[in-house]
Amino acid sequence: MNETLEKRHMGLKASRTISNTLIYIILIVMSVVWLIPFICIVLQSFRVESTWQVGYVVPQQWGWDNYKALWNSDFKRWYLNTFIIALVVAVLQTVIVLCMSYTLSRFRFKLRDGLMRFMLILGMFPGMLTMIILYRVLKDLGLTQANAVPGLILVYVASSGMGYYVSKGFFDTIPKSLDEAARIDGATRAQVLTKIILPLAKPIVIYTILTAFMGPWGDFVFARYVSFGTSAGMNVAVGMYSWLQLDQIGQKYTMFCAGGVIVAIPVTILFMCLQKYYVEGVTGGAVKG
Amino acid sequence: MKKALAMLLALAMVFALAACGGSTAPAEQPAADKPAEQPAEQPAASTGGELAGTYDITVWCADAIVDLTKKQIEDFNASNEDGIVFNATVEAVGEGDAATQMITDVEAGGDIFCFAQDQFARLVQAGALSKLGVQASQTVSEANDAGVVAAASIGGELYAYPLTSDNGYFMYYDKSVIPEEDLDSLEKLVADCEAAGKYFAMETDTSAWYIASFFFGTGCVSEWETDADGAFVSVKDTFNSPEGLVAVKGMKKLVDSDYYLSSSDGAGFDSGCAIVVTGTWAYETVKGILGDNLGATDLPSFEVDGKEYHMGSFNGCKLMGVKPQTDAVKAAALHRLAQYLSGEKGQMERFNAVAWGPSNLVDQADPAVQANPALAALLQQNQYSVPQGQIHGSWWDIAKVIGTDVENATDEAGLQAALDNYYASISALFNMSEEEKTAWSVIGGICGTSWDTDFPMTAAGDNVFESEVLELKAGEELKVRQGASWDVNYGADGTIGGPNVVVDADGSYIVRLTIDGEVGTIELIAQ
Amino acid sequence: MKRYSDLEFLKLSKGQKFLYKLQSFFAAIPRAIGRFFLAIGRLFKNIGLGIGREFADIFNTFKEGDWKTRVSFLVMGFGSMARGQVLRGLMFLLFEAVFIFYMVTAGGYWMSMLPSLGKIGPHQEYNAVLDAYTTAYGDNSFKILLYGVLTMFFIVAFIYTWRLNVKQNKIAQEYLRSGRRLKSSGDDLRSLVDEQFYKTLLALPLTGILVFTVMPIVFMILVAFTNYDGSHDGYNNALFGWQGLANFRTMLTWTGGGGVNYSATFGEILTWTLIWAFFATFTNYFLGMFVAMMINKKGIRLKKLWRTILVLTIAIPQFISLLYVSKMFAKNGIVNGLLLNLGWISKAIDFWGSTAHNGLLPRVMVIVINIWIGIPYLMLIATGILMNIPADLYESSRIDGANAWQQYTKITLPYMLFITGPYLLTSFTGNMNNFNVIYLLTGGAPTNAAASGAAGSVGYTDLLVTWLFKITTGAEAQYYLASVVGILVFLVVAVISLVVYNVLPSIKNEEDFQ
Repeated sequence: MNETLEKRHMGLKASRTISNTLIYIILIVMSVVWLIPFICIVLQSFRVESTWQVGYVVPQQWGWDNYKALWNSDFKRWYLNTFIIALVVAVLQTVIVLCMSYTLSRFRFKLRDGLMRFMLILGMFPGMLTMIILYRVLKDLGLTQANAVPGLILVYVASSGMGYYVSKGFFDTIPKSLDEAARIDGATRAQVLTKIILPLAKPIVIYTILTAFMGPWGDFVFARYVSFGTSAGMNVAVGMYSWLQLDQIGQKYTMFCAGGVIVAIPVTILFMCLQKYYVEGVTGGAVKG
Repeated sequence: MKKALAMLLALAMVFALAACGGSTAPAEQPAADKPAEQPAEQPAASTGGELAGTYDITVWCADAIVDLTKKQIEDFNASNEDGIVFNATVEAVGEGDAATQMITDVEAGGDIFCFAQDQFARLVQAGALSKLGVQASQTVSEANDAGVVAAASIGGELYAYPLTSDNGYFMYYDKSVIPEEDLDSLEKLVADCEAAGKYFAMETDTSAWYIASFFFGTGCVSEWETDADGAFVSVKDTFNSPEGLVAVKGMKKLVDSDYYLSSSDGAGFDSGCAIVVTGTWAYETVKGILGDNLGATDLPSFEVDGKEYHMGSFNGCKLMGVKPQTDAVKAAALHRLAQYLSGEKGQMERFNAVAWGPSNLVDQADPAVQANPALAALLQQNQYSVPQGQIHGSWWDIAKVIGTDVENATDEAGLQAALDNYYASISALFNMSEEEKTAWSVIGGICGTSWDTDFPMTAAGDNVFESEVLELKAGEELKVRQGASWDVNYGADGTIGGPNVVVDADGSYIVRLTIDGEVGTIELIAQ
Repeated sequence: MKRYSDLEFLKLSKGQKFLYKLQSFFAAIPRAIGRFFLAIGRLFKNIGLGIGREFADIFNTFKEGDWKTRVSFLVMGFGSMARGQVLRGLMFLLFEAVFIFYMVTAGGYWMSMLPSLGKIGPHQEYNAVLDAYTTAYGDNSFKILLYGVLTMFFIVAFIYTWRLNVKQNKIAQEYLRSGRRLKSSGDDLRSLVDEQFYKTLLALPLTGILVFTVMPIVFMILVAFTNYDGSHDGYNNALFGWQGLANFRTMLTWTGGGGVNYSATFGEILTWTLIWAFFATFTNYFLGMFVAMMINKKGIRLKKLWRTILVLTIAIPQFISLLYVSKMFAKNGIVNGLLLNLGWISKAIDFWGSTAHNGLLPRVMVIVINIWIGIPYLMLIATGILMNIPADLYESSRIDGANAWQQYTKITLPYMLFITGPYLLTSFTGNMNNFNVIYLLTGGAPTNAAASGAAGSVGYTDLLVTWLFKITTGAEAQYYLASVVGILVFLVVAVISLVVYNVLPSIKNEEDFQ
């Protein structure tokens, strides 16, 4: 009797070991697949012997040439532009998104349902075409080309109210009884928000800041309209995109890799540090719609 | 309180509106007559003194020549005797990109910009190029080779300054792989590549520019006609013909090879290519990879049914354009600069810096230019090339499909189908339904259009056609035509092809056409 | 179909249950569509009735109003000020002043030009002294349309505010008659941080959405009814004007403009867009869930490491990672080089260029690479949800002898599906409009020969959005056609969303979640 139990236990253990081994193998393979492109970018960014695409990965000659070339190009300016945009957008967009989502989660007013439905419908239009119009509006405001940075910030922030879903979902999970208790104690609605809700909403605030900060680094279609051929107004994506065009790829391919590394580093570090909040944010809010 | 939201909303909008719209006063311009009358008399030679001043301008050019162009503009500032000073911002905007950007928004574009020839007609049509003055036209036509001058002209008038005459392609090869004696035969070259396990790269999957090589080799043509505004009106295209079939058979020989690669990237030599068909711009890259093994020569011949056909090519150029200006003084100064940058000295400097092949006749004769291997190969290929005139923008999209079609075809019927498909799409560009062919319309320098817009007419009885109500101004001219073409058109005297109808007085009119046999009477009926 | 009662349903076998659910889903679709149209009908009816009531109310207010109220009909805010609500009154008055000023100086012009979109086009002039051509510009159709639309918005806002002003007077009059105290300016301000706090919070976000989202969309819709393109840009070359429904006819008839078959092209791209959206959504969903389950399994170590490696694709901007990957899979890229060197293949694989079977290979490739980008999101979401499933559910099921697969289908999957239903829908429609992945990976390649005549050079991996983008940057820059495509995309997305919304069991009542 004791023996059979022991055996079954052994069998279970064995099957668990097998399945765990299998899982490890899958995870290792996946990690390799996930990492290869990034490793390739990093390796190629250190290649000195040539600047174009080649059929091998490991450089024959290592050096900082590509990074030095970056330093001597307009990349600095693009980087600074993007960084400023990302920083300002992170702050303002968070304020707007929080206003929007908190309101829609906590208040019940006459036009609330209509408003939410209206925004849902708005979101179904492909944004691609409205870019040319937004570009013309910004141009009339004088916020294109060399002034693209404030222009881009304006557009990113102004339309950010549409992205309230995730944080509204999060606010919905905070019990309303908390608000009511505070209201009974004589707090105004504004005080409820700043004193009670916001401290509880730390994960979603950080999540919103993080996503708002990461967005501007990747925009190249609209940012390209707004900078309109003026280097001083470009962000990294627009500037670096031209390096992979036919007339430049031969000279700039490894520089693109180096630029990619420089762009990826701060965003990745930030993301890794705040990953915990990101997970809490998405899971707390994203699934509720 | 209830209103706060609405108020804030409205106020915010007011400020937005005031900021954007308020300052824009509606332009009151006298109505345009027919566009751009040619000056009758030779212009009085301007002394240039009235051009003195400082101008803030933007120049768009390829990344490779940004620094050079900055220096050239400084040279211009220092050397010109008219007191013109340009305060220029030079931006790196690629030649393909420049045209797309200009068409998106002409106003925001560079005052002077460089572009490839295939964008020319599109730019004229978009109103992004200002015409050259009489003197400038004369100087430029005399100084540059004839093909390039034709490429920068529409309706016999120059709209841009030639920068290079090297936008053609030829063949780079790796001397260590390809034996000299095989260079004239496509079949042998393909066999050499297969034997060596190396690629033969020619961009026939995605670029009509390269595909045309085979067709020109068998004597096919694709010639396009534009009107004076750069709009395309007709085409003579023989790609769908017995010669065209020979061409795709030759192409099939290349693309069926396991070692064929659709690419025109000179860096391909670093990843397994032995032959790359591309242009002079790849020279530095290829030189860097192959070193002394670099070979450059004209394209080979291919054999179909026992007959040899030497592969042809496009022979094109890069151009420099000046954006239309409202201020005549600035326009004249900009043209002065463009002429300087594209002149003999400018082109030679560009050749020395980045090895762009000059279009200037004096520069072309320079020994240094003739000694450049890439340009020499281009020159060799030029015997078989076709000057790239004005080609409809959609042609590139339509013709590039031949590449993938031919690759997928399994037999001769498949090849023929590729040509049929091509021909159908080409003809569709100008085709109209029967209804559209017989419809009448009013056209003229009316309602803000300049002989480029048809105002439809509808039947108002047997052989009577009427337009909608049109706002016409005294002195404006118009005609009535059929099928949006000038084959059948009526004017003031009722005969086909008669003189323009001139409007007597401002007012709202219906234009009525009454046809009686050959006579078409046009009446303007005031409303 | 036969409908089952709850009891009957429970008696069915597993297969039958599934079949029944499937049937009910599809049976519900026509009803959902029907409900949608009924709702639209009701909406119009309500609007009609509402407008009638408003007019009656305005009339009554005037009839029964005192002189302060009546003056307010012309001088907005007068009544409020006269009754001591100075702040309110001033706001009304200021708004009216600004409106009148704007309409006189600019708005009137834009509105008057809107029907024609401009009368005078540009023309060239020759300056003989300087030997130079200049261009004299006329009206600007683009601006006329843009500011015309803005002015219309403004007029609507004015009418609304004027109506508020009238209503305000009526209320104030009634308050005073019944002897109640009117709110002072101080009260007004205080209420903005308390019971009316939502107005304060929403003011800025909604203004932004109105000007930078709603207005451009209205403009875009209007462009579909004009001939705005590269050679009619409204200012630099020729004016553009209204075309009625001509562009829709071009897109939707079998042989539209110039004999090009746009509707067939549209249908082909739409089909691929839907296939892509389906696979992109569900491959990510299930694979992401499995990865999450693997990492969270008891006994697996280094959980944080695995997660960190996977989320790299979220952290690194797509224009770097996707552009790079697309170069890796080029015919002479690293992947082919490696496979050739290993001797696994004898001929390079044309990952992006193969047109065999309607571009099957590139299509599969974009879906596979999208997995690389998309799994990490789902992994994070699934991780959070899986941790929320009560552990005793699994415990008790194990005691009942359920194996891992049964636990998955009975507990994990239903739980996930219930909670992520709305997310699935949004990610489906999001994928339909997933510009980045397609544009950065293939740019739409390889070219689709059958659609060569259509504007913008259509490829096999092109989605409707990338096609739309290509039309605007193509040879003729046909914004009007792109606009029509945009409207059609909206219709497709809207219909799918509405149908799914009405059929989906969760989402029905958002309060359920709280």
